[in-house]
Amino acid sequence: MTPRAKTPRNSGQRGGHVLRRMRASTVYLLLSIGALVSIAPYLMTLNAAFKPQSTLLSTQAWTPAVPATWSNFTALWSQYDMSGFIVHTAVVAGTITLGQLVFTTFAAYAFARLDFPGREPLFWGFIAMMMVPQIVTLIPLFLIMSHLNLIDTYRALILPYVFGTPYGIFLVRQYFQTIPADLEAAARIDGAGTWTILRRIMIPLSKPILATLATITFVNTWNSLLWPLMATSSERDEVVTVGIAALQGQFASELHILLPAAAVALLPLVAIFLLFQRHIVRSIALTGLK
Amino acid sequence: MFRRARKPLAAAAALASVAGLTTACGGSSGSGGVVNLTYMIWQTSEEAAYQKSVDVFEKAHPDIHVTIDLVPWAQYWAKLQTSAAGRNMPDLFWDHLEYLPELAKDGIITNLAADVKSSKIDLSQYSPKLLAQWENNGVIYGLPKDWDTIETIYNAKDLATAGITPAQLGSLSWNTTDGGTFVQALEKLTVDKNGKHPNQAGFDAGHIKQYGIALEAPNGQQDWWDFGVQNGCALQSKAYGTWTVNSTACVQAMQFEQDLMYKWHVAAPGTITNTPNGAQLPTILAQNTAAMTFDGDWDLDTYESSLPAGSWGVATMPTGPAGSGTVFNGLTDAVYAGTKHPEQAWELEEWLASAASEKIVTDTGTVWAAIPSLDSGFIAAWKAKGIDVSAFYQGSQGTTIGYPLTTAGTAFTNVVLKDMNQVWLDQMSPLAAANDITSVSNAAVASGD
Amino acid sequence: MSANIAVTGAASRSRAARRNRRTRTTLEAYLLIAPSLFGFVAFLVAPVVIVFVLSLFSWNLIGSPQFVGLANYRRMFTDSQSWHALLNTAYYVVLNIPMQTVLALLLALALNRKMRGSKLFRVVFVLPWMAMPVALGVIWNWFFDPRSGIIDHVISLLGFTGPNWLTSTTWAMPVIASVNVWQYTGYTMLFLLAGLQAIPQQVYEAASLDGVNAVQRLFRITLPLLRPALFFVLVTNVIGSFQQFDTVFVMTQGGPGQSTTTMNYYIYQQAFQLFHAGYAATLSILLFAVILVVTFVQFRYFRKRTIYDFS
Repeated sequence: MTPRAKTPRNSGQRGGHVLRRMRASTVYLLLSIGALVSIAPYLMTLNAAFKPQSTLLSTQAWTPAVPATWSNFTALWSQYDMSGFIVHTAVVAGTITLGQLVFTTFAAYAFARLDFPGREPLFWGFIAMMMVPQIVTLIPLFLIMSHLNLIDTYRALILPYVFGTPYGIFLVRQYFQTIPADLEAAARIDGAGTWTILRRIMIPLSKPILATLATITFVNTWNSLLWPLMATSSERDEVVTVGIAALQGQFASELHILLPAAAVALLPLVAIFLLFQRHIVRSIALTGLK
Repeated sequence: MFRRARKPLAAAAALASVAGLTTACGGSSGSGGVVNLTYMIWQTSEEAAYQKSVDVFEKAHPDIHVTIDLVPWAQYWAKLQTSAAGRNMPDLFWDHLEYLPELAKDGIITNLAADVKSSKIDLSQYSPKLLAQWENNGVIYGLPKDWDTIETIYNAKDLATAGITPAQLGSLSWNTTDGGTFVQALEKLTVDKNGKHPNQAGFDAGHIKQYGIALEAPNGQQDWWDFGVQNGCALQSKAYGTWTVNSTACVQAMQFEQDLMYKWHVAAPGTITNTPNGAQLPTILAQNTAAMTFDGDWDLDTYESSLPAGSWGVATMPTGPAGSGTVFNGLTDAVYAGTKHPEQAWELEEWLASAASEKIVTDTGTVWAAIPSLDSGFIAAWKAKGIDVSAFYQGSQGTTIGYPLTTAGTAFTNVVLKDMNQVWLDQMSPLAAANDITSVSNAAVASGD
Repeated sequence: MSANIAVTGAASRSRAARRNRRTRTTLEAYLLIAPSLFGFVAFLVAPVVIVFVLSLFSWNLIGSPQFVGLANYRRMFTDSQSWHALLNTAYYVVLNIPMQTVLALLLALALNRKMRGSKLFRVVFVLPWMAMPVALGVIWNWFFDPRSGIIDHVISLLGFTGPNWLTSTTWAMPVIASVNVWQYTGYTMLFLLAGLQAIPQQVYEAASLDGVNAVQRLFRITLPLLRPALFFVLVTNVIGSFQQFDTVFVMTQGGPGQSTTTMNYYIYQQAFQLFHAGYAATLSILLFAVILVVTFVQFRYFRKRTIYDFS
């Protein structure tokens, strides 16, 4: 899995010298070490997930899982409803991501491009909320959801986040501000309304930032634990983090299930990132800078 | 939570139900007049057995559906109290003596005395010690569902290497002057990197390969409380009384444990065992970091699943200056005072505390039954797996102390964790810790905090 | 805004028509932000208002709340643990932010050139960001176990003895910070990489004609032009660091002693372990105020030194 540090070929335009080549090799070496550090915990998770239960604890974490066994993965699916957790989480994360894409685009456009009374205070209100520690708001949030009789429903998981977050609105608004105003002005002269401008100009030009927002939202929702733990209690809406947390006891954890579960739970996130990664870098490129 | 799959098509069903986002609201009645009850528990390893029992209950009560909500201990009380704030608690939930008084004080738990009387429950079938813990001035907070004690769990290979038999392990004794046979055995089990033992010349205390024992507990239940009861220490003056942790007997017990680490060099120091950052006990045993430990029977299942068969066993703890002794504790199912379905909740409570249900659970080897006549089933279940667990039973029959009963349980636990971790690092004297724990906890009792 | 003026101002329309247009724009704007505004008010502002109210009460979540006026605030100022937690948080921020930002910058600079495998590196470096905190705790505790962890194993191979990372009051916080650096450096790098890619190539070409060396190029061209991206990264990361909770929660639970009890974790302890909901609310307000001040200072500092318009 480690990216092979091939000796780079002479890629620079001026190329040639030994010194330059040595420097490139050093960069590759350092990057490879960084990459190894980045994935080492994953490698160990995977390695341990393939060890039989009886040697999982008695062998060192880096001792290779030889012979490898699929038994932990089969146990994960036969004894536990892993597909169910993945589906529940995907439903919640998917809905929230979709909602945020739509509502954040709307709000960010208004904040970036429309001049209306109350814009500044509202925007700064959103930003200030980014700074509020969220831990204690879990209690009021529970009270609100409880009052609405929504505890232990998908709605309790989805509603608080589906309308967008200050971070998301901040991110997309910054991007919208970099799209040249002339494009929009020209369209307005041609009689295009806000809706048309959004659909024809802003959204097509903003695919990269929307990909970024989608990835961030999906990953954050997928990995969030405390709110789902508080807000749900039955099989039909339990998400994967809550399931994994339940495998951790006070002194002893069911590691032979926990580790493969964590490995499996990572796959959808990696897939999403691979899908969007080219867009992501391009998008942020335009966000911060003119 | 990661509960065992009940329906193969659960995922598809879930998808269908979200499609319309029309899932019924939690806790209240569902379709067709079926009442939904939520039953909250915290031990993963016990879920399967309770599901088995609940299945039988549902068959007998087709109009009641029970959802087991498994929340790990680390988040259990946070979730419980938050749901109490929202008046949205589970109808039934496992209750622990550490939290009972605080919950009871605020009237969140149903007094079952009237139901017990009208349903003619035979209270004499339960262990009287358990019953007493959950009854206060005629108020019954729950029917006992199980009990637990603390005993020794050892690594069989390490024991054999040191030439000690499990029977010998069970008959050791300790004292505060020379450590007694207990320390002698632990010296045999402790090996430095050169293969030397602590009682041999040239022993290198800085490089110990295997310790005799590792002790780990956030509040003392699996370590110094047990040494305490073996030394005649009482944590409190009486139930709901003042804390007496700084009595001589208790301080001696703490001192003995600290001595195991730093005087005799036979116990893993706090750097290895301090909770919550230390290694987990089964790991410590599996990797031969220590040859034995003290642990509660609720963790047996984890040792069974994470250590190779036949590589571990159970023995009684040593006797101390005041004789043998262990911490004896038990859980009940509490009925939420605000439940929308008090009748059905009582029926479930009655079922879970019945001999029939406790037999289902204990016969799987999940947990000891609160009805003593059923306990042979637990021993038999573990005998079938090759482990003799009768030490826990012996412990329950001897001298025991119960879990302290106080309205300041969380404050006590908090200060104990903070101070005792220092003691196990040899950075605080047992007496200073005991004094601090006593004064902080008594202040919390006084302020009703 | 300028677009509107351009359109409406170009033709000499009547004032009424302009006012009409303004009203329409306002209406449209509010329609557009309505969903977000609803979610914002219902699920962010309302809970925060309740937190402010809670800070005036003593409440264990079960019984009924008791009004105590400013008692929680008085307690906060005399509670040595709350100041300890605040100091721990500051310590964490100081350990975390520079390490993470510098590493992310170096990675971004390295990956900003055309080279084989840069895409693969990019993906690999971002992987840690996706790690599920619940599972991470277990894995990292393995890494840092003094007896069987790989880190001390490597140290011992080099002939040294590693410290007891997570049970040492000295080392636990640096470990928490390192784990966070591990987790978020790649994520931060993405933003900086994007910033670097937006710097026009012509600027460098012009500079190379002037004979500027590599070091000068970094400090005179790259970093100043990267300032907006750095600003975004610093503001959001500092806010995030002040709210550190996950890693502490899964790895040390604030220990050993109080050594890794960050403010947010202390708030959690007060609210959910000791059930002092009112006091926890008060502490949240303190933390909020601290973050507000720090962010404000950052805005002031950066605004003076950058052309980038942030409002």
